[in-house]
Amino acid sequence: MIELDQVTKIYKGEVLALYSVSCKISKGEFVFLVGPSGSGKSTFLKLLNRQETADQGAVWIAGKEVGALPRSSVPKLRRLVGCIFQDFKLLPNRTVYENVAFALEVTGRSRQQVRTQVPSLLELVGLSKKTHSYPHELSGGEQQRVSIARAFVNRPPILLADEPTGNLDGDTSNGIMRLLAEINKRGTTVVMATHDQHIVNAARRRVLRLDRGRLTADDAQGRYA
Amino acid sequence: MAISLGYVFRETRGNLRWNVTLFAATIVAVWVSLTLFGSSLLIREGVEQATGRWQGGIEFIVFMNADASEAQHAAIRGALDENPEIDGYDYVDQQGAFNEFITEFADRPELIENVTPEILPPSYRVKPSVGDADVIEALAAQFDARPGVRQVTLPVEVIRTLQQNSQKVSVFVLIIAIVVLLAALMLIANTIRTAIFARRQDIEVMKLVGASNWYVRLPFMVEGTIQGLIGGALAIPMLFLMNNLMAGFVQDDYLELLRSLVVDSAVVWNTSLLVTGIGAAVGVVGSLFAVGRFLDV
Repeated sequence: MIELDQVTKIYKGEVLALYSVSCKISKGEFVFLVGPSGSGKSTFLKLLNRQETADQGAVWIAGKEVGALPRSSVPKLRRLVGCIFQDFKLLPNRTVYENVAFALEVTGRSRQQVRTQVPSLLELVGLSKKTHSYPHELSGGEQQRVSIARAFVNRPPILLADEPTGNLDGDTSNGIMRLLAEINKRGTTVVMATHDQHIVNAARRRVLRLDRGRLTADDAQGRYA
Repeated sequence: MAISLGYVFRETRGNLRWNVTLFAATIVAVWVSLTLFGSSLLIREGVEQATGRWQGGIEFIVFMNADASEAQHAAIRGALDENPEIDGYDYVDQQGAFNEFITEFADRPELIENVTPEILPPSYRVKPSVGDADVIEALAAQFDARPGVRQVTLPVEVIRTLQQNSQKVSVFVLIIAIVVLLAALMLIANTIRTAIFARRQDIEVMKLVGASNWYVRLPFMVEGTIQGLIGGALAIPMLFLMNNLMAGFVQDDYLELLRSLVVDSAVVWNTSLLVTGIGAAVGVVGSLFAVGRFLDV
């Protein structure tokens, strides 16, 4: 499903973000990406949805080399790879419904399809009663649920999560984790970058550890430290 | 992938609703800039029209010998009538020339005392249909050699100076118009860019959920077109107002110079349509470039 082959990424100013990282993630896996700040976790995720391209090596998703895709094919890639972020990145002027619907509309779905799919997604994330609320009227946890609904509404085979619980308290984080586990159970591969050792230790999933851009550990049922 | 009209309409409406201030600012920028640009064009049009009028008023004078025969006069009149480059002429006989002389030298009675109508040459004041100095010079030369003609005088230098000056003024005003247009373009592009900068995060999110570039661009371009059209349309009454103000000066007989700068309302309409078209084009292109900077996500 996902493969990195000796990937190196250097930002302008000679900042080494990733150095010769190789790994494979199979379909349906749930993988934690851990490491201190600046270890390359975000860069790892950004390479998977072509927000960045590798300077050396190759990134493969579903048999296609991401870095070699023409720019016009990037939107299609992004519909295969859902994303959630620490700061949610919701559109502030749109309601919960409109935020989720937007991700469907950009794929050219009919309004009829949008009308049936968005409510079932909001049901899944437990926000049926907040359909017409605006992001600023929601708690952090609720906003992250909207963001998850938006990322998952296209039923992408891959979901990337960059510190999704970074701004949330413990209980709320657990709720978000249950939701991600549920999505993973439905067949979506989840790659989640996190600092939260409780979550990692509780889940006992595969853990990839990055340190100063190098992949230093890959444990099948790993712990944070 | 087809982009539905409904989507473009809803997005554009949303953009307008969420950014009322910047939307209005862009319209005002377009409005003011295009009014200035349109005014420069109208002034240029007025200058050219005025020059044409002055040039049309230029005449050359065929002085006859005081003793020229009636046959010689008839030949000259025939030649003047036949020539298509001549609009018309006035004949000033010896008494008429004497009257002019008296008027001209009213303050010098000693000159008038020594002159009688008989010694003054009768003349034809010829109005050419063209304003070009070279053509008029050639035209005058045709009469110089005819029997009975004493002298042909023509204000070639005056015409040349007038032509050169009006060209200079016309070019000068055109340069001002172009500079104003460039300033307008930059002002409008900057305002649009500010409006889009305010929404760069929206654009980033749209791109991250898989929107194509055209999907993001199109509503902004429609928005830019609407702003350009409204701004351009608002400039139309300003242009008419300006032209009417000058017409007001004419009625007051206040400033002679401005009289010739008033142009026909058809000219104002043409300029208005041009200005509105430029407004729409600037809106589209400005949005296109402004969005482009933020699409690279």
